Amino acid sequence: MSITIALAGNPNCGKTTLFNELTGSKQHVGNWPGVTVDKKDGVYKKNREVTILDLPGIYSLSPYSAEEIVARDYLVKDKPDAVIDIVDGTSIERNLYLSLQIMETGIPMVIALNMMDEVETKGDKIDCQKLSETLGVPVVPVVARSGKGLKDLMDTAIETAQSHKKPEKLNLFDQDLQNAIAGIADVLGGNNEDESQWKAIKLIENDVVVEKAVDPAKLAAIKILVEKANKNARGDAEAKIADTRYQYISQLVKECVKKAHRGHVETKSDKLDKILTSRILALPIFAVVMYIMFACTFSENFLFIEGLPSPGVWLAGIVETMWGMIAEGVVGVIEGLGASEWAVGLVASCLDGIGAVAGFLPLVLVLFLLLSFLEDSGYMARVAFVMDRIFRHFGLSGRSFIPMLMGFGCSVPALMASRTLESDKDRKITMMITPFMSCGAKLPIYAMFAATLFAEGNQTMIVFSVYMLGIIVAVIGALILNKFAFKSDASSFIMELPQYRVPTIKSVLIHAWEKVKGFAVKAGTVIFASTVLIWFLSNFNFSGMCDMEESFLATIGNGIKWIFAPLGWADWRASVGVVTGWIAKENIVATFGQLFGNVSEEVVEAVMAGEEGLPAIGQVFDQVSAYSYMAFNLLCMPCFAAVGAIKREMGSWKWTLRAVGFQMVTAYVVALLINVIGHLIF
Amino acid sequence: MPLSMVEQGDIREITEFRGQEEMKRHLQDLGFIKGEKVRVVGENPSGMILLVKGVKIALNRALANRIMVAD
Repeated sequence: MSITIALAGNPNCGKTTLFNELTGSKQHVGNWPGVTVDKKDGVYKKNREVTILDLPGIYSLSPYSAEEIVARDYLVKDKPDAVIDIVDGTSIERNLYLSLQIMETGIPMVIALNMMDEVETKGDKIDCQKLSETLGVPVVPVVARSGKGLKDLMDTAIETAQSHKKPEKLNLFDQDLQNAIAGIADVLGGNNEDESQWKAIKLIENDVVVEKAVDPAKLAAIKILVEKANKNARGDAEAKIADTRYQYISQLVKECVKKAHRGHVETKSDKLDKILTSRILALPIFAVVMYIMFACTFSENFLFIEGLPSPGVWLAGIVETMWGMIAEGVVGVIEGLGASEWAVGLVASCLDGIGAVAGFLPLVLVLFLLLSFLEDSGYMARVAFVMDRIFRHFGLSGRSFIPMLMGFGCSVPALMASRTLESDKDRKITMMITPFMSCGAKLPIYAMFAATLFAEGNQTMIVFSVYMLGIIVAVIGALILNKFAFKSDASSFIMELPQYRVPTIKSVLIHAWEKVKGFAVKAGTVIFASTVLIWFLSNFNFSGMCDMEESFLATIGNGIKWIFAPLGWADWRASVGVVTGWIAKENIVATFGQLFGNVSEEVVEAVMAGEEGLPAIGQVFDQVSAYSYMAFNLLCMPCFAAVGAIKREMGSWKWTLRAVGFQMVTAYVVALLINVIGHLIF
Repeated sequence: MPLSMVEQGDIREITEFRGQEEMKRHLQDLGFIKGEKVRVVGENPSGMILLVKGVKIALNRALANRIMVAD
């Protein structure tokens, strides 16, 4: 008989570690529908009949965040066979608050009392037997990091699931509240007593989401009962419910936990925090950490040594070279077999498409090894806090800094890094503006225009100003999205700072591997398909294979060039450049090389490096329209790899299209402004 | 007085929250309830770090201004 067991618990309670220990590598990561919240499930290593579902970390079952809504919807509507509630033994009082709420749902439940090693190190003692007897729920002590107690935990959980043993009703609330709950549950009716009771409690707690789902005919009667409950609780029944739960917990903890020290003892974590979140040192230390992370992933002059590639760049180079050799070999073999020109071209373009995906994998891997180290160690929560003051002005979270900074290297891993953001809204906004950070592949475009159209002394300034433009547009874009698209009040910041812990190698590796796999599979298809499509458009017309000048793409370029007239470059070659830039932005230079005078590959290389200009583009561009073109390509839809990453992270085509639409409109408006204002001035 | 005025190292009792219902509920979930004693363990330009029910919680000044504690 197959069983589904859900893992629930506070953020930082060790839930993910437990999940990894239980499922090993047999896990599947996806999205909950409509939100960018991870949905992870896997099969229990020791019993393939058991599916384990990792719910997002939550503090309660109230609808404060997307995570909380997702988790409780699952628990109440989908009803797993059992739920394992993970309680961090080192902060048992706060963690049990969620446990009491999960018990109210009536789902068979087991408490995993985690971090027991740290509890023991502190010298505290927790009486699990008594805890279990008082709560009426099995309590199993575990150490998720080392795997201790997990067999016992799973045996208990499976047994609980199979016997459908519900948690005992605690009846914490006083007579007034109990009457109110029973009364409202009565009005709600329905054949599931647990569910109507749970809903009744939520309705007294002024839960808007539950209220919306109630039959409108019953709402008036319920409102009267809630009002009465409030009157009995001196105006605030909700506060009374919370208070009752906490009072029960503190009594329970008094009976079951023996603390070695009274009051607060300064821990290693506290000492570290004195430095890492200090008034003066916090930002400089963060700057250094960020620099190291960026350098390890993207630097071509690692550790300031000229020409020494960073681990990320080095690996990417190896993958690219190897793939290049394989592709060349395969193409050679097909040619040798006497395949037609278009067949060879198709195979080559498919191989290119796969190569484009493969080339990003090392960057994703290295960045995520580092990121998950920072995340698991607890430092990332401090970053969010320390950077919050600056980013709040733009309506973003402090954590948005990381994806945005990484965006200067490559948008693909940067977009994937947005997963570390706390709220769904922040994640979406950050993903929409991260491609505005000028990535490494866009530099050759600026280099080409600077070397061709601008005076020697101004070239650096021009390139630098494009980078600045990206940052400014990102900030304005974030403000606009916040104000009009998401309408949020972003004035408060509150977040738990977990204890510092040395991450386990296993969890860091699993996390990085998940990211690489997710990118290769989910984003890979988007990248592959679009690369092949553009290859087809740029090499074919109705009479078969042809040069780019006569291809479908040229026809399309001619057809759409009027759109760009207000931007100052109504030329089919410029339009084609925008499209080939979506495969990889640096392609624009090669396309221009081919379309403006068919120059050799060596010249294209030199143009990319900014050592040489491409004089023929002067026929189409003046300085202002060149700047408008650079701005457009900086801001418009990023390369397909990045769009694939957006799709993968957003988890929905609707949001992906919204993001791309936002980028296209922004690019058009900014380029238009540059062209109009520029030509007024110059 | 508002929590934001409490100095580092001091322990105060929460008396009231002045703000939106939604935030009030989230604060409850994190252990901020009437009568709870919280200790200020750190301060920096972003806000303050508190110890609530044995857990460290960081919050910004805008929020700390709306949480009232006993004098």
